[in-house]
Amino acid sequence: MAAQGGAAPSTYTPTPTKKTQRSPFFSDSDVDWLRPDGRGFHQCRPAFFRTGAVNSAAGSAYAEFGNTKVIVSVFGPRESKKAMVYSDVGRLNCNVSYTTFANPARGLGSDNKEFSSMLHKALEGAIMLETFPKTTVDVFALVLESGGSDLPVVISCASLALADAGIMMYDLVAGVSVSCLGRNLIIDPILEEESFQDGSMMITCMPSRYEVTQLTITGEWSTAKLNEAMQLCLDACSKLDKIMRACLEEAASASQD
Amino acid sequence: MGLPDASGDLSSEMEVDAFRRLFPLRYFERHLSESIRPDARPLGRARDTTLALGAVASAHGSALAKIGSTTMLAAIKMEVMTPSTESPDEGSIAIDFHMPPICSPIVRPGRPAEAAPVISKQLSDTISSSGMINLKELSLVSGKAAWMAYLDIYCLDADGALFDAALLSAVAAFSHLQIPIVSLNDDGKIELISEEDDGAKLEVEPVNKEKRKLTLSSIPFSLTCILHKNYILADPTAEEESIMETAVTVVLDSSSRLVSFYKPGGPVLAHTSAVQDCVALTRQRVKELQNILDETLSGMEID
Repeated sequence: MAAQGGAAPSTYTPTPTKKTQRSPFFSDSDVDWLRPDGRGFHQCRPAFFRTGAVNSAAGSAYAEFGNTKVIVSVFGPRESKKAMVYSDVGRLNCNVSYTTFANPARGLGSDNKEFSSMLHKALEGAIMLETFPKTTVDVFALVLESGGSDLPVVISCASLALADAGIMMYDLVAGVSVSCLGRNLIIDPILEEESFQDGSMMITCMPSRYEVTQLTITGEWSTAKLNEAMQLCLDACSKLDKIMRACLEEAASASQD
Repeated sequence: MGLPDASGDLSSEMEVDAFRRLFPLRYFERHLSESIRPDARPLGRARDTTLALGAVASAHGSALAKIGSTTMLAAIKMEVMTPSTESPDEGSIAIDFHMPPICSPIVRPGRPAEAAPVISKQLSDTISSSGMINLKELSLVSGKAAWMAYLDIYCLDADGALFDAALLSAVAAFSHLQIPIVSLNDDGKIELISEEDDGAKLEVEPVNKEKRKLTLSSIPFSLTCILHKNYILADPTAEEESIMETAVTVVLDSSSRLVSFYKPGGPVLAHTSAVQDCVALTRQRVKELQNILDETLSGMEID
């Protein structure tokens, strides 16, 4: 890319002729509207998980929620970087990156530092780090296509990949986000809905233990809305957990045959 | 992740596994002397290959290619550029090959794999020299606007023969490519015509009504072989590549003409006969790959 970057003429993506600038969401009048993909407000996209997507990794998982497509590979436990000081507990190293075609407009496939750190914080509470002292477990995620709610999908997918790699965990970590649009709460928002949101909340939790590993809230919220959104997320997490467990069970029974 | 050749009772399996790790070269040579490879392939056989088109919804053309467990995802995005003054009626292609950290234990974030830029360059050279794409077809308005096709190939799983899989995914993505209909507006900018009001009352004349698909002439296909002593191993896995270092990559086009031949050094010196054998193996492989591509494309048309 660097070699071509200098010589390549500047390019642009052609935009539609007709500017369809109708706002798809009603911010003042809360008339019922349909979500762009026809879902109910409290309905998640169909989730698809598959473990063992990458053979050269110790463990891996692929997740697809509508147009959001993610692969996570887990490597290790392996030797920590030379520069690291001695540590009694294992280290977790996370990285999230995007492909150049992940977003509708072509971007530079770059590391997402913020998501990397959020992924690390969402997972570290669930992993028994003391089971692999002095070593590092690497969790690398690649967002193949971004279709909204990327981070919760990455986190859920990463916990499946860790399970596939046989890393000891207290529980799987399921992540769900909710957007607040006007007076409505919509779960598992797509890219378009995220761009119109007034506020967003993401919960990642260990559903069997009913413990939250990460909770992020941005934007404008009332206390009542917060409580409602939290309950919505936690319920969705436990449903997601069932799908994730079913995926692991399927993989385990397939390998036994 | 069990080893693919794990068979027999547990005690011997453990010994074989230890032998494989401790003396990899002897382990392989023992197999080669029996004309078989650890994954039960004959020496000249490539791994199972699959293609899927349209894997990336946000791209104009995309393909997922798998050779064994080596997986490549290629996607093309079309953007508009001003053509250079030397070639006013030609578009351009920019090819980039990525090895993200998910694909292999060797790649770490922030430290890109050494192989990636090499394969990137090889792909650009092969695709431009094969003459598969007529750059004139990418022209929109002579001297004013032309397409720039950005082809990005991501290695999702690296298990040897990366160039072969990358090239296959690239040509499949080009054959899947659907160029959007565009028009020229008053400011000299290219704008998209949405599919819905297609055919109805079009205020603007599309500039590329006929040129929605590229005509691909002489599609290049490749096969990488490992040379070791007198043996030739087609389509090596990552393990084979790490143990036996001399690789030869032959690129032939669909009418079996030689497009390029790479032998980037290595301890084994290739005799003329070995070169001929590699080309012969590639000729067979090209037929297989051409069939796979044709079947995948015809499968798309039925849908």
